[in-house]
Amino acid sequence: MKKKNFYINLFYIPAIILFIVFVAYPLIYGVRISFTNWNGYSQKMNYVGLKNYLRIFTDENVLIALRNTLIYGICSTLIQNVLGLAYAIFLNSKFKGRSIVRTIIYLPVMIAPLIMGYIMYFFVQYDGGAINDILHALHKAPVDLMSNGTVAVCIMTIINSIQFVGTAMIIYLAGLQNISVMYYEAAEIDGASKWQQFKNITLPLIVPALASSTVINLIGGLKLFDIIMALTSGGPGYSSHSLSTLITNQYFSAQNAGYASTIGLFTFALIMIISNLVSSYFDKKEVYM
Amino acid sequence: MKIKKVMRLIISTTAILGMLTGCSSNPEEGIKEGASATSETKSASAESTKEGAAPLTGVTIEFLYNLNGETTSDAILKACEDFTYETGIEVEAIMPGSNFSDTMKTRMAANQLPDIWTTHGWAVARYSEYLEPLNDQEFAASINPEIKDLVTGEDGNIYAAPLDMDLVGITYNGDLLTEAGVNVDELKTWEDFDAACKKVSDLGKTPIHIGGKDNFTIGNIFNDIAPTLYTNDNEANQKALLDGSFDWSQWDKAAGMLDAWNQKGYINPDCLTADYMTSIKAMAKGDVAFSFYGASGIAEVYAINANANIGFMPLPAKDNDSKQTLLVGEHFAAGVWKDSEHKKEAMQLLNYLMREDVCTELASVCAMPSGVSYVTSDTGKLAEYYAKYSEEGIQTVPYFDRAYLPSGMWNDLCTTGALILSGDSEGVQKATEQMESSYKEKMAQAN
Repeated sequence: MKKKNFYINLFYIPAIILFIVFVAYPLIYGVRISFTNWNGYSQKMNYVGLKNYLRIFTDENVLIALRNTLIYGICSTLIQNVLGLAYAIFLNSKFKGRSIVRTIIYLPVMIAPLIMGYIMYFFVQYDGGAINDILHALHKAPVDLMSNGTVAVCIMTIINSIQFVGTAMIIYLAGLQNISVMYYEAAEIDGASKWQQFKNITLPLIVPALASSTVINLIGGLKLFDIIMALTSGGPGYSSHSLSTLITNQYFSAQNAGYASTIGLFTFALIMIISNLVSSYFDKKEVYM
Repeated sequence: MKIKKVMRLIISTTAILGMLTGCSSNPEEGIKEGASATSETKSASAESTKEGAAPLTGVTIEFLYNLNGETTSDAILKACEDFTYETGIEVEAIMPGSNFSDTMKTRMAANQLPDIWTTHGWAVARYSEYLEPLNDQEFAASINPEIKDLVTGEDGNIYAAPLDMDLVGITYNGDLLTEAGVNVDELKTWEDFDAACKKVSDLGKTPIHIGGKDNFTIGNIFNDIAPTLYTNDNEANQKALLDGSFDWSQWDKAAGMLDAWNQKGYINPDCLTADYMTSIKAMAKGDVAFSFYGASGIAEVYAINANANIGFMPLPAKDNDSKQTLLVGEHFAAGVWKDSEHKKEAMQLLNYLMREDVCTELASVCAMPSGVSYVTSDTGKLAEYYAKYSEEGIQTVPYFDRAYLPSGMWNDLCTTGALILSGDSEGVQKATEQMESSYKEKMAQAN
């Protein structure tokens, strides 16, 4: 038995090696860099102690990126879950063309976010964008939507939500299909309304799906990168940066690799804490059938 | 339940770390043209099997270059193939597109550089510690004085071979300026330039176009304005910028100039969201009077509209007592990695590129004046302007950021400009503060 376990354990080795090379080592190296003012390419590295860590809390650009990151994460999660659940409930009923509708809703998930961003650029751009063409047809003045940081953040949140609503829908659909019909039949015999059935049967029993969907969407939103790079590159100025795009900006463009690494570790801690808090919350709410 | 929690923890950790260790793309610092696709080739061995070809030596050298445009890229690849034919040394020529600068930074960090690469303005400030000095090469004595200083370090070593040189002013649409009643030869100061913008604006056309989605287009403006306000004819400021004692409160003049143009409506309303190609198209259509792009931008306009009447003018002076200037910098310049395993072969390629016939061909494809005295390039429609400004004795000065700012501040020129263009009421003040703090930080980084 011991020998068998030994051989089974050998199968872990490739995964452990990959984890060490591509995750653990870069993380440890990143921690080291975060205590320096390294420019990202020089062979010279000066240690600056906790300076980068203290700077994070006073840097206006980090605070803007943090605010935007929370908007991208929380708002995307809300929109994706509400819409995803609505789609799932709708598509859980039998009707003609159900498979086609499911495919259409899921289709954007298969497009790379960067491509999605470039496609959407043709909708929102000032000169020749679809939205401004419609406004022009209605004899209205064109608007430069992406030139305002707040508006740009809202638009990119919506684009991200629409693109990945299919993921939430699939998770909820799987959750809904796991619920036995007999619960609803029993509730109907007891005279429960549709809303009561949803509130007291559907919702408690899809908590595992809700937990998975929320955590996945939250992490996806909090690390939003590609769409921002395609649409605004974090601009105008720093107004639509997320923490992820700010890391890239600071590492490559501003040549502050040490500081970028510090922001990266801060982002790691932030997402870790938020996702685990959410995960623990849903663990407590889980109902076992 | 505990196992489940641990699993969740591992999954979420891995997902987040996936982001942190991921790579990216971002707008390019050195490449001041539109984005272009990555191209890669290995100079064909087939060339060496042709009659008269030198037998293959088995050595392959890597050549990384950043020159956009199909014609330029094709000419470089052709030169590499011909080199292989003559010497039997294969060349892997790679153009990583807009990621060139980031690719080079990553490779410098790993100390794994290409055998030879184009230095795009940073031969001295960024790459000198990795480049082989070229003083003893035959072409070194013939490098034109305007560009020689820019590729020579404080130690007197020449670090890059300039095949051509960038000569930059303000691009203009001649037909539109004529329609507005503006004589470009009379635009001697920024005040004159402002008045010309007013005339164009009164016509209902856009005086200045910026494709700010590609933020280098914003950085270019500061790079053009700053020398005229701070360093031309002002040795004290030149020295102060280099030794770290520059008084950054003065920056409000440059920032204020951009802000004033924006307030007066001289800049296109979509200046933050339009891209570089939108600028080029608008100039080709005759909707725009001025843009702050180099000769490559003019070539792009001609590619869209061969009948466009496009020219370039020197940068106006700050007042009547100062002179107009043109910016000069590296364009197609290449250097050899000092620790290359194939340094001898890389040096052979560099000398081949600098050979009169090859250099003439390559500098002509770029439509830029040659960087060496023994080559006269064909600069096409721009030739008349180069000749005119040479006759007038217009002085040339180096790119502001490359000469006077520590490496890494290009990003600040771009982002502070964007802040001002966004209409922030405190934009000028914030831009000035950011420039100062970033300058101090970068100076500390360098020491």
